[in-house]
Amino acid sequence: MTAADATLTRSGTRKGSVRDPFSSPWRRRLPLLPALLFTIVVTQLPFLVSIYYSFTNLKDRTQSLIPEPTKFVGFDNYRAIFNDPFFRQAMWTSVKMTVFAVGLSLFFGTLFAVLLDRRFHGQGLVRTLLITPFLLMPVVAALIWKQQMFSSLFGILNRVLQFLGLNSVAFISDHPLASIVTVLVWQWTPFMMLIMLAGLQSQPSDILEAAAVDGATPFGIFRQLTLPHLRRYLELGALLGSIYIVQAFDAIDVMTGGGPGSTNVPYFVYQESLGGGFRYGSASAYAIVVVIFAIIIATFALRVLSGLLKDEDRV
Amino acid sequence: MHKARTRSVRNRATLVGSSFAALIVIAAALAATASGHAAGKTISVAIVANPQMQDIASLTPSLFTKQTGINVKYTILDEGKLRAITTRDVGSGGKAFDVVMIGMYETPQFGAAGLLQDLTPQAKADKSYNYNDLIPAVRGGLSANGKLYASPFYAESSFLMYRKDVMAKNHVTVPARPTWAQVAAIARKVNTPSMAGICLRGKPGWGDLGASFTTVLNTFGGTWWSSTPDGKPAQAQIDQPQFKTALDFYSNLVQGAGEKDAANSSFNECLAQYQAGKVAMWYDATVAAGLLEAKDSPVKGKNGYALAPVVKTKASGWLWSWALAIPKSSPDPTDAWKYIAWATGPGYIKEAGTKTKGGWAAIPPGTRLSTYRIPQYKQAAAAFAPKTLAAMEAAPIDNPGTTKRPGLPGVQYVGIPQFQDVGNRCTQLFSSVIAGSMKDTDAIGQCQRIASDAIK
Repeated sequence: MTAADATLTRSGTRKGSVRDPFSSPWRRRLPLLPALLFTIVVTQLPFLVSIYYSFTNLKDRTQSLIPEPTKFVGFDNYRAIFNDPFFRQAMWTSVKMTVFAVGLSLFFGTLFAVLLDRRFHGQGLVRTLLITPFLLMPVVAALIWKQQMFSSLFGILNRVLQFLGLNSVAFISDHPLASIVTVLVWQWTPFMMLIMLAGLQSQPSDILEAAAVDGATPFGIFRQLTLPHLRRYLELGALLGSIYIVQAFDAIDVMTGGGPGSTNVPYFVYQESLGGGFRYGSASAYAIVVVIFAIIIATFALRVLSGLLKDEDRV
Repeated sequence: MHKARTRSVRNRATLVGSSFAALIVIAAALAATASGHAAGKTISVAIVANPQMQDIASLTPSLFTKQTGINVKYTILDEGKLRAITTRDVGSGGKAFDVVMIGMYETPQFGAAGLLQDLTPQAKADKSYNYNDLIPAVRGGLSANGKLYASPFYAESSFLMYRKDVMAKNHVTVPARPTWAQVAAIARKVNTPSMAGICLRGKPGWGDLGASFTTVLNTFGGTWWSSTPDGKPAQAQIDQPQFKTALDFYSNLVQGAGEKDAANSSFNECLAQYQAGKVAMWYDATVAAGLLEAKDSPVKGKNGYALAPVVKTKASGWLWSWALAIPKSSPDPTDAWKYIAWATGPGYIKEAGTKTKGGWAAIPPGTRLSTYRIPQYKQAAAAFAPKTLAAMEAAPIDNPGTTKRPGLPGVQYVGIPQFQDVGNRCTQLFSSVIAGSMKDTDAIGQCQRIASDAIK
């Protein structure tokens, strides 16, 4: 945002006259300025206010019997973050949740993409069905899994276990992280599948035919030709998937409502603020720390992404 | 050519201009009707998703809107969500709700902080509301500094419900004043694979697992915080031996003889399991008895009731009320009071007796002395009404345990604002202990830290 702003000003001074704001380049940009202003007001001002709050002990008015004045507390909130074992736990949960969900949905996405890449009867229908989970609202997906699949009273999975003569399992209470990852994988597999399918369809068929003529097995072809070709699609899928899945909130709120093993960083910040803690000061500090981490990771990720795009140009 | 084009451009401009103007007029008209509607004729009410509240929501159009012309828009939420939303809305002066349903924990706190309208003048002036008919313990619990801040919709204590037929089959008698040791022994004895011995709340949330567990904790001699002489929280007491004894007792009982998937079960889930014949005993709110004895209940007439089990204290039942309050920021306090006076007045209780499918037994109990004088109710609720009143009178609201408590009075909660968050986060840990995915000592260590940090 600020970078775009800077470019705009720089080119403005270079090309148009500074004295006349209605010279041609500025006239072209003028209609965009309200949008820019709006974006600054709704994204950057709240961020500045959050930074200010993070240095105070601001709390909700319901959180004190006798109204207390909001005090400036310096770096206390930040110091508390790095001593907070629950925040570390939430970070660790975030990492596990993202790695497992992205890894598994990539695996299944690739598998389904390979299957869908060959012609068969009813292909269109199968493809539509496979994409459906991605089109559902996350809250609905989580509710379906919670009530119809995992529930120990009327869940399908436990009916199957009972039918097989096994003990019923309280999936969500006993394995909260695995349950949430299952739902995330179910939702994100179609997304990965689409990316992989695009990758497979961009593969030149003459090479595959040549390999087949040379007597390579189908698995050999996949491992030595298709997989290297798919590498950059896998990287792209992993990158986009991580960006989205690291923010997972809906599934956690609906299925477990937090708790050890299922509170990730976004949910932790929610619990600290609007979700019951109502400590806006320290919640702001957590949010700022998360933003700093996110910027570091995003810079790294964007570098990978632009590297991928350059690769594309060379080919 | 040139002229013609200019004209057509101008015409187009006029067309665009006039249609834009027309749009604005239409939008303004729509907005005006919408806001006019909201100001005089519609109020928004947030309530908790329990059966009695669902009854009133379905009866409102015919019994309230028809008489007064005021439409009521309900938002029905489960306990935890309702708390998060009402606390946020009331605290920030939001205008989302004209009436909110809050409990005995929040009412005096919000009232003292100046976030709720004082209902006393209207309640005393309104003859049909009959202020003096409210049960004194409940009225006291919903007041701060002598001012009534919320009007009770129902009120309850907690007690033990059990299936008489199952006990008879197992040759067991449940004492009228049982101890927890006796209840645990009975639960283990009657526990079978198809019917659990007892249903105890295990779902995270201070008002869910937190409520049941804290009454057990109190009577085991433990508590959440010690108190300074002037009633401020002094030190977290989670790491004390009594706390661990209570937690181990509770989680062992649920694991050994409790309901399936305990970590997801609270009032509504236990109610469903008890009515489906999947549990033999149930320790929960007295208000449940009305639903067990309702006209449409499959276990009607099969139940016995005993006071809340004890260990070191004389009584351990909680005291709670779901009550309707008007936030200071309510856009329409006059119509809001009309609604509250109807929903919590003696008139609705009588209407509910004949118009709901649960019948007389399932009316909102525990709020008014006159309820217990209605002949039909006395007959329909003979099995539990006297025990409900006795339990509510016995609830040790001012002295729930063996040590002094900080903050405002409370049995199954500690009357300080920090308890909501501490209770929620610690019951998540305790729920994991019940599910068997966390060690009791780990949960206690983490909870001690949460409780200490909260009162710093």
